[in-house]
Amino acid sequence: MSELDAYRSLYIAESRENHENIVKNLLALESDASDEAIAEIFRSAHSLKGMSASMDFKGMERLCHAMEDVFQEIRNGNMAITHALMDTLLSASDAMEAMLDDIEAGGPGIPQDLDDLVDGLKNWIGRKTEVLPEGDFSQAYGGMGDGAVQGEPSPIGEEALGENHYRITLCMSDQCDNRNLRAMIILQNLEELGRIERVVPDRAIVEDGEFDGRFTVEIASDAGIEAIKTVTSSSDLKEAVIEDLKSPASSPAVVRKASLPTPEKEDERRSPQRSEKVEKGREVKNIRVDISRLDVMMNLVEDLVINRGRITEIAREHQMKDLDETLNMIGRSVSDLQNLMMNIRMIPLNHIFNRFPRTVRDIANREGKEVEFIIEGGDTELDRSVMDGLNDPLLHLIRNAIDHGIERPEIRQAAGKPRKGTLLLSARRDRDNVIITIQDDGKGISAGKVKQKAIERGLISEAEAENLSREEIIDFLFRPGFSTAESITDISGRGVGLDVVRTTIESLKGTIKVESTEGEGSKFELLLPPTMAIVTVMMVRINGRRCAIPVHNVVEVASLEKEYIHTIGGHEAILLRNEVLPLDRLDDMFGRSDRTDILVVLQHQNRKRSIAVDLIEGQQEVVIKPLSSVAGSCRGVSGVTIPGDGEVVPVLDVNALIKET
Amino acid sequence: MGRILIVDDTLFMRTLLKNILFSGGHDIVGEAGDGDEAIAKYQELKPDLVTMDVVMPKVNGIEALKGIKSFDPNAKVVMCTAVGQEQMVKLAIKSGAKGYIVKPFQAPKVLEEIKNVLGS
Repeated sequence: MSELDAYRSLYIAESRENHENIVKNLLALESDASDEAIAEIFRSAHSLKGMSASMDFKGMERLCHAMEDVFQEIRNGNMAITHALMDTLLSASDAMEAMLDDIEAGGPGIPQDLDDLVDGLKNWIGRKTEVLPEGDFSQAYGGMGDGAVQGEPSPIGEEALGENHYRITLCMSDQCDNRNLRAMIILQNLEELGRIERVVPDRAIVEDGEFDGRFTVEIASDAGIEAIKTVTSSSDLKEAVIEDLKSPASSPAVVRKASLPTPEKEDERRSPQRSEKVEKGREVKNIRVDISRLDVMMNLVEDLVINRGRITEIAREHQMKDLDETLNMIGRSVSDLQNLMMNIRMIPLNHIFNRFPRTVRDIANREGKEVEFIIEGGDTELDRSVMDGLNDPLLHLIRNAIDHGIERPEIRQAAGKPRKGTLLLSARRDRDNVIITIQDDGKGISAGKVKQKAIERGLISEAEAENLSREEIIDFLFRPGFSTAESITDISGRGVGLDVVRTTIESLKGTIKVESTEGEGSKFELLLPPTMAIVTVMMVRINGRRCAIPVHNVVEVASLEKEYIHTIGGHEAILLRNEVLPLDRLDDMFGRSDRTDILVVLQHQNRKRSIAVDLIEGQQEVVIKPLSSVAGSCRGVSGVTIPGDGEVVPVLDVNALIKET
Repeated sequence: MGRILIVDDTLFMRTLLKNILFSGGHDIVGEAGDGDEAIAKYQELKPDLVTMDVVMPKVNGIEALKGIKSFDPNAKVVMCTAVGQEQMVKLAIKSGAKGYIVKPFQAPKVLEEIKNVLGS
């Protein structure tokens, strides 16, 4: 087993690709039974079966085999694709995914209901068999029927000059499996040497394996006895006796086989010349790399970035002009390296988008809704680390859209809308961000209902609610513990609300907003950084000390007008263009500064807050390193960064600061 | 020992087979992921032997076998098949395959078959 373990990650990766291909094409089949989709599923199930057998994952092998059989029947036109069959196939494909998860976690990938799953598939074929039906293979394997099989042995023509007649008596080796196939190969090879005139027993009988291992071939050939000896020296034969029929006097040549091939000498195996050819001949276009190795590389590149800055600073301090050119070159290489590393970590969103059509289908079926699901911009790329966290929030939003957004067909019809609702999932790159939108043409969000619920839940008083804008009311959807669903359903009502979606998106350094028109639908927009590894920060000084603020949290910068500072309930606040913002001086972190004359307005979850700073040094792209466990968690600081001068600068945790109020 | 071209649509199978063939002292001169690529690589590399998967996208193994045979009638092609594909193997043999190996691969059997076919 340990020998096979080396292949495990390759097996997992490639099996997942094949599984995804199966799911993708199953869904395609449902709308249109194209031969191409059927062929693709057959091929993927077949590949998956072969790989699983090689890895000795018996459960997966059996399930894939059963699926392959079903598609064989479909290809042969013996079976139609029905809704019920599709359900069986999809649950089998779900099981495959779970089995792959188990295998990846080190398990054998054998679920308890494996027998049921396999039987479920086999029942469709109507018979239980472990062997591929030996039916019409030309159909099963696609367009190779006619003319594939070479005709019967060529008709006997005039005897050619120099042609000799031989009788060859052959005896198959006892160790040889499928001796009929082995005999076929030998017959085929003999046929290339000349004309087979007779086979005893009959050739068809030999090919079907209905013989005792012995057969005789009469052949007319000009290839000479040596060529015949070579062909009949196969290790599949125990014995071969060749008689020259023209010269009966000559003693028959007997080829006897040793039962085992002689072992090769170790040093004969690889000559240096040959390996050179190998290097030239093999062309590798893609390699697979463990993501953790990329993380290590990324860390190394980050260290390089920091030290490049440090060297630049040193050169400036010591006015080492000679270093300038070299430093420029290093700078360029490091930037290129950094960009390259970022690109390598990028994967197209299709990686997760491709799973959603399946989900949409299931939810829509269960809810009795008709949904046209459209995916756009799946080739937009995102950093792996961002992608990993994105699946659950997107899934939740999609579920919500079908569950709460899109109405039942009859209701839609009554409202003058098409019966089928449209759900659009799209992604695009917008300058430094990736924007993902999930838009439905359902009933939209009712601000009235949301308001009522917020009051019921005691999140807000009736009087307060009157003064809120529609936007502010809808924002309550993102508050913990809020749900407008009339009843808890299996789908959306899992106790996880939009608050969790927002928290997750924000942990990815992104934002989420919603636009909704009652009766017309809702649109959720996610704004995400393409990567989390490098963040643009604003460098500021507070009480003479440096501090970095992530730019995505900064709304605006204004001058601090002292006369607009008021004290409300023991806390300072500032009036900025008719808006009252809590003002924080961060004394406890940096000490009291009397030089603050710049105001930085920060935002998190639509809530604003301002801080007073001495001055702003500028913007910079930095790598944020989390605080080590030794430092523990530090209030208001999300990590540190080390800009070029080597100083360790704290990064302000704006989210936590705002949540405190 | 031979110069071998491996044809299979999965990297997994190619890797597995490559390691078996390497351990047997053979040189892997190339790999192909479908039938089209197999024919092109055969013409380019002229290997001593080809291991040919049957079920592949675009052009399948049987068609690729025929393509290679029409380019080089002496080509030595060993089919890689799964258990229960006997009809497939018969078709391949009639189309000129010189041998076959059965998945899951057992290294000694694979090497013996390759040796046999190379020697014939």
